[in-house]
Amino acid sequence: MLDWLRARRAPKARPRGGADDALFDEEFQRRLEVLALVSRRLANGRTRAERRSQKTGSGIEFADHREYAPGDDFRHLDWNLYARTGRLLLRLFEEEEDLSVYLLLDVSRSMGFGAPHPKLRYAKQLTAALAYIALANLDRVSIVTFCDGVSRRLAPTRGKNTIFKVFRFLGELAPDGRTGTAEAMKTFVAQHRRRGVAILISDLYDPAGFEGGINVLRYHKFEPYVIQVYDPVEVHPPLHGDVRLVDDETGEAREVTITPRVLERYAAAHAAYRARIDDFCTQKHVPHQAISTEVPFDRAILDILRAGGLLT
Amino acid sequence: MELIGLSAAEVLTVLGGFAAAVTALYLLKLRRRQVEVPFIHLWEEVLAQKQTTRLFSALKRIFSWLLALAVVALLALAMGDPRQAGARAEGRTTVVLVDTSASMQATDVAPDRLGRARVEIERLIEGLGGDDRMLVASMDAATVPLSPLTSEPRILRDALARLTPTDLAADLGRGLRFAHDVLRDQPQPRVIVVSDGVLGEPGEAAARLREAGAALDWIRVGEGGDNIAITAFSVRRYPLDVSRSEVLVELWNPGEEALSVELTLLGDGEPIDLSRLRVGGGERLRRFFTDVSGADRTLEARVRLEGDARDVLPADDRAYARLPERRRARVQAVTTGNLYLSAALLLDEYLDVVEVAPAAYPAEGEFDVTIFDGWVPPEPPRTPAIYLEPRPPEGTRGPFVVTGTVPRPFFDRLERDHPILAFTALGDVNVAEALAVELEPGDRVLGGDTRAPLLVTGSRAGHRIVALLFDVRRSDLPLRVAWPLLLLNSIDYFTTQDAGYLSSVETGEPWRIPVPAGVEEATLVTPSGERRTVPVADGRAVCTGTRAGFYRVIAGDADDVFAANLGPSEEAIVAPRDRLELGGEAAGPPVIGAAGVRTELWMLVVCAALVLLLVEWWTYHRRLTV
Repeated sequence: MLDWLRARRAPKARPRGGADDALFDEEFQRRLEVLALVSRRLANGRTRAERRSQKTGSGIEFADHREYAPGDDFRHLDWNLYARTGRLLLRLFEEEEDLSVYLLLDVSRSMGFGAPHPKLRYAKQLTAALAYIALANLDRVSIVTFCDGVSRRLAPTRGKNTIFKVFRFLGELAPDGRTGTAEAMKTFVAQHRRRGVAILISDLYDPAGFEGGINVLRYHKFEPYVIQVYDPVEVHPPLHGDVRLVDDETGEAREVTITPRVLERYAAAHAAYRARIDDFCTQKHVPHQAISTEVPFDRAILDILRAGGLLT
Repeated sequence: MELIGLSAAEVLTVLGGFAAAVTALYLLKLRRRQVEVPFIHLWEEVLAQKQTTRLFSALKRIFSWLLALAVVALLALAMGDPRQAGARAEGRTTVVLVDTSASMQATDVAPDRLGRARVEIERLIEGLGGDDRMLVASMDAATVPLSPLTSEPRILRDALARLTPTDLAADLGRGLRFAHDVLRDQPQPRVIVVSDGVLGEPGEAAARLREAGAALDWIRVGEGGDNIAITAFSVRRYPLDVSRSEVLVELWNPGEEALSVELTLLGDGEPIDLSRLRVGGGERLRRFFTDVSGADRTLEARVRLEGDARDVLPADDRAYARLPERRRARVQAVTTGNLYLSAALLLDEYLDVVEVAPAAYPAEGEFDVTIFDGWVPPEPPRTPAIYLEPRPPEGTRGPFVVTGTVPRPFFDRLERDHPILAFTALGDVNVAEALAVELEPGDRVLGGDTRAPLLVTGSRAGHRIVALLFDVRRSDLPLRVAWPLLLLNSIDYFTTQDAGYLSSVETGEPWRIPVPAGVEEATLVTPSGERRTVPVADGRAVCTGTRAGFYRVIAGDADDVFAANLGPSEEAIVAPRDRLELGGEAAGPPVIGAAGVRTELWMLVVCAALVLLLVEWWTYHRRLTV
């Protein structure tokens, strides 16, 4: 009885963020410049770019000899050694190559959750900031979006002047699809033979488990770095009364009467989930950061840089 | 317990219907609000814990449903207006007769006796039980119900507010007959008379009420005190000098102690006489005021006690009178010359006399009276007429057929009470000769002997006449005082409709006030200024009033004033009676129910329903029943 009255007083449905208006405005870019300067100070003494790779190529530093095979470039034959030993050996040089930074951005529907702005907006800002820092350090930056597979990718790019390309790419993204991290990472590693740092930016709400995707990156010699983004509303949802909870990715529904005690239990479950991610990453030596969207993105970037293990 | 609102069956019907509706609402699957979440699996553990409490939740829902059913049941019960069966049987039917007669205006108790009566009745109302019913009626000369038989205090208090005192005497018999009619076949009948005991005779109604099993109670109000009353007040103009009047005032001291009083006469609102009198205990003192002048239309008498004595009943300290209208009468005298006639007419300064010779008859103008002296006109006049020796000439029909003459007649027989003969002495008048005439039907002989009438009144051609059937110059009548009196009385007889003019009427009696011909209704303006329309029958406005004072009657262009006074009664006796006999037994004070016995259970039931509703809301918002 009187439920119809009470229903009128119930809270609204899930919080959905607004549009990405002025996501990368001048203020944002100014803060990126500051982050780039700070990042250089933090990386003082480290030679991040221009490091030698394990591959041989067209560099000037001698590395080794190997047997000549038909089709090899005659210019690389060591004629002095042929004169002493009578064997055709090629001179091998270490090849100098750039660091490849892959920004793996989760754009599933769950990333559209959050208030006042969706998590995806925050994740875009993080992605843009990290891309700018990498570009400023002459790294090759590629952005790959995924949900249950790879959605879109920004081809590897270099130089700070390409940041606007990054902005345009990120600005066109919208949340859609279910989360399937493992499958998406399998596709990613298959498409990208060049190894590098793989920064996974996601809420890690994967019904199949977040571990699979990270392991795929590890197994394929990428250097994974996990950034988990969550919204405070997810931890403490403003719910009460009789509700029907619907997963906005899978459509699964559960009926529950929200009471303060239920909310407490839910907050504890969410904290346990974050702790599980942290334990897994620690155990696998994967750098990890769990960031709430209420933390300003530039402060979050500094925390990430201070924690180390990224872009070094 | 019994239900006096909806019957038990109706209550059960309402209860069943609403209980079914409430149950159906509870059986409906709860329509939950849909909320999207980003990761339903986080809720799984929480929901798993909730599964264990499902049974308890179902029980809590049942508790909520039972609360709702209880609320419905209580409201349905309230609609039945439950009463305790015992209390219902004790319901009494009471008629309160409140004395509103003149004596209840006495101020021996504060604020006055009627005010004290209101207080007493208020106590009765507060003591009413839930099933008791009461009717309040005002009782003076008539009994008027001011409320229906009701148990609603507000209606009874409104009736109390409408109680107004009157200048009438109470008629207890009429009041008891009214109460008997109201209480017929009513349970627990009871009559409560609220009065000072000056009520008149109860009659047989009291005995009939006793036989019907009604309780007769009396609430006595008043303590007594000094009172002087004007019990009679009358005024008349002198016939020969209408500018002066004679006034009669009767004062009554109903107490035992002698009182010194001051009596004031006011003419047209201005004091014209002041007298100091002493009235003994129980004495009725009559006082005549002669040659009263200075009043033209109204006269008022006021009496008050001298010194520190206080008159507790002001209602009988004033009396009012309306003086007869005074105006000049136009008289046409048709005569060949009669010194005695002319001299007599000169005596009244309010006569406007025109003498005319028979040859010049009729004179120009309108006249109130025409006097024919020894001559008879060929056609009857269109005015009242006085004929002196109406001997018609040959070929003319006079007012009488003359058959001869009668020598030396006398006034052996006289209608002394007739106004024409007022203040006259005609018994020894000597007359030389009189006409012998044939009287017509309707003629009245006022004086004469067995042989011939000498003074006759009657009507001719629709107008009244007075005929003196002899030549006054051949008698010694002109040498007597009776001659001008007889003549002027006759003129007054024509010009004054009512020689026995009533200077005032009595309150409570039906009044018949003359109004101009052709008027169908009139407006009565009471002393308080209230206006009401009254009917007109036979040329008179029929009305009555309850307050003494000057009233106005407005009918067409006429605007007349008359006076009304408290009629003769015992209302002036301000000492309340010690004992009131009703139906052979002394009436005593009523047994008033204790205040607060009014128990209307439906209010408590509704309160209980509201409490349950609060419990239901509280348990919901504390998540105890969800």
